[in-house]
Amino acid sequence: MRPYLFGLAALVATLFLLPIVLGAAGTVMPAFGWVDSLATEGGFEAVVADPRFFSATYLSLFTGIAATVLVLLVTLMTLVCVHDTRLWRFLSASLPPILAVPHAAIAVGLLFLIAPSGALVRFVSPTLSGLTRPPTDWVVPDAGGWSLIIGLVIKETPFLLLAAAAQLSALNVGASLRIGRTLGYSPARCWSRLILPRLYPRIRLTLLIILAFNLTVVDMALLLGPGSPPTLSVLLMSLVNDPDSRGAASAGALLLAALVACCFFLMWCLEHIVGKIAAARRQSGARGRGFGLFRFIGKGVVVSLLFACIGSLVLLLMWSFTRRWRFPDAIPSEWTLNNWTTRGDMLLQPAWTTLTIAVTVMLVSLLSAIVWLELERYRIAPKMDSVWFLPLLIPQVSLLFGWQAVALWWGIDGQWGTVVYTHWLYTVPYVVLILAVAWRELDPAWGHAAHSLGAGYWKVLWKIRLPMLRRPLCQAAAVAIAVSVAQYLPTLLLGAGRHQTLSTELVTSFGGVDRRVIAALAVLQSLLPLLAFVLALIYPRWRQTRLQRGNSTNPSGTIA
Amino acid sequence: MHSLRVDNLSLHLPNGQCLVEDLSFTIEPGSVLALMGPSGSGKSSILSWLTGTADSRISAQGSVWLGEKKLNSLPTEKRRLGLMLQQDYLFPHMSVGENLYFGLRGGTRQSRRDRVRQSLADAGLAGMEDRDPATLSGGQRARVSLVRTLLSDPCALLLDEPFSGLDTALREQIRRFTWEAAAKLPVLLVTHDLADIPLDARVLTIGECNHSVGPLRVQSPTQAL
Repeated sequence: MRPYLFGLAALVATLFLLPIVLGAAGTVMPAFGWVDSLATEGGFEAVVADPRFFSATYLSLFTGIAATVLVLLVTLMTLVCVHDTRLWRFLSASLPPILAVPHAAIAVGLLFLIAPSGALVRFVSPTLSGLTRPPTDWVVPDAGGWSLIIGLVIKETPFLLLAAAAQLSALNVGASLRIGRTLGYSPARCWSRLILPRLYPRIRLTLLIILAFNLTVVDMALLLGPGSPPTLSVLLMSLVNDPDSRGAASAGALLLAALVACCFFLMWCLEHIVGKIAAARRQSGARGRGFGLFRFIGKGVVVSLLFACIGSLVLLLMWSFTRRWRFPDAIPSEWTLNNWTTRGDMLLQPAWTTLTIAVTVMLVSLLSAIVWLELERYRIAPKMDSVWFLPLLIPQVSLLFGWQAVALWWGIDGQWGTVVYTHWLYTVPYVVLILAVAWRELDPAWGHAAHSLGAGYWKVLWKIRLPMLRRPLCQAAAVAIAVSVAQYLPTLLLGAGRHQTLSTELVTSFGGVDRRVIAALAVLQSLLPLLAFVLALIYPRWRQTRLQRGNSTNPSGTIA
Repeated sequence: MHSLRVDNLSLHLPNGQCLVEDLSFTIEPGSVLALMGPSGSGKSSILSWLTGTADSRISAQGSVWLGEKKLNSLPTEKRRLGLMLQQDYLFPHMSVGENLYFGLRGGTRQSRRDRVRQSLADAGLAGMEDRDPATLSGGQRARVSLVRTLLSDPCALLLDEPFSGLDTALREQIRRFTWEAAAKLPVLLVTHDLADIPLDARVLTIGECNHSVGPLRVQSPTQAL
């Protein structure tokens, strides 16, 4: 085997693991006061002494765990109540575009929906509510964190649902339900006793990623979470910007990572308890009753979430073209293009930066994933599916504080390449894992056939393997762009404020800028990944159609 | 025990193509009706319709009765029609015993345990309660699957090519076991293989609705041969 191929595998692995290892070290060392330039003495004492620390920790735990439990419940409810119905088919088609919408954009849209002056109140005012002014009974974001929980549930449920839906075919759901029901069990019991126990282990990792994300999210917490006290990750963000509190911020980031690890352990314990109870109940033989009411409620929940998600996006679009929209009008009284044309400076520069970073990250991610999977195919690189998930399981705050410190030390912070590299770290896991399934399933006989016709390695790769994998490649490219566009913390911390993307601009401008311009920013942020998804859908079909048209019109195949 | 009766069953595909036209039959307890016909002639669709799990795009008319009870409007789980398919569908997250407990209806803990152990012993699988289904042979799996179906106390048994996945030696053994175990039930058997059909069974051959010979004919296995 050529040694440079091993070197190539080592290079990709090193590039991937380097920011993780150095980022962890860069957080641990200042936290314990081991780096003089970055740390103040007693980081842990300092962060715990912060009067907001315990309430912020409680808030993070409450919102993170509640949102994750709700995401799991809604996903399971959706599967049980909606699977194999017309609504399921609509939902399956809507999931990828919903997933493509960045967190910050969904959060802003949700604010426009549920705020006291939001669309929900407007739709019932003044006819049903009698309100001619926005109510003052509640505020959004609320102090209890419920707005954040709703936002997280809306954004993360499609992710878990998509992961679950991808596994259902392997479980032969139709046959299991059929057998279970002919044995006398109600559909809900069939799901709870036959399908879910087999499905759960397959979506566990995705659920862990969601739990870690919900406990540590920053951008959504800044938009939808309470301000005083904020969640722990937001509190740590405020500390990290203060050079005197760097040690405290690092110590807090370590505590947050420990908190996430504790929640993982708690989940593991709960899994075992629930598993034992479920196994015992399976033997009881209780068949269960009809589930008409449960199905009705389940469908109601699914439709409500879809409405909230699509409604939020429609509201963003409406606000971005609004000149005047007074309360309690249901729709704007005057429309305008000015929000787009007069604030071009605020929209174009971040959009261009976002686009260039996203496209570069997408290309580098695809290239590195292809290199890795090809090396894996020749058994030069090992399969390391669970390792790719590492950046998604470690809280961003815990990893990036350290990685930023290392970047500062090396003098590479604020550079465009550093931002791209950090985006790549969070993008490449998705790209590798999307491509891995298709890559491993592609029959090697195609390659053997091409080799037997005299084609070399590069020709087979370029002319046979890549075109045959066009569809997953396009999907992976779209996901890479969506993930990169949504990155807030990596851009903020590693960009040192020199690279304004739509994410950073949206979060930092929120509250201080006209909501119509904010809406335009959010629409623009959503449009880029949506466009990528549309192209990923259309391009392979266009290629296929062109091929078929060639079949019917190309006269060269006709024998004269 | 009640007879299983189907009256005037017609099945049509979404494109209007007729699968079955005006099919009627009765299966008495302890007798077997074998359903034969070419692939795609609608044999499995009939079974799906009987269990209430047919594809919603297939339009169906007709009625199914278990004794005096009409089953059409009942959900699958209330019809009490045991179903065995070509694949055994032993649930992989349950042990052999748990699969059987899952099938068993009612009873105290002790009586349930006794019934499962007795059933396993009757099937020649004594002591395999805690085994992982994945470690069983094809024949053992088929027997566990049949025992599970019978423990759910069905009023009729529907078999969709249950022997076709087994090798020749095992087939005869499982056939015998099945006919003994289901001796008191009305049984509807879908098969391609005449050897699967007991000698005292009736055979119903279905073809395309527009076939010139006519859609159905009922005959004995010897006539079918």
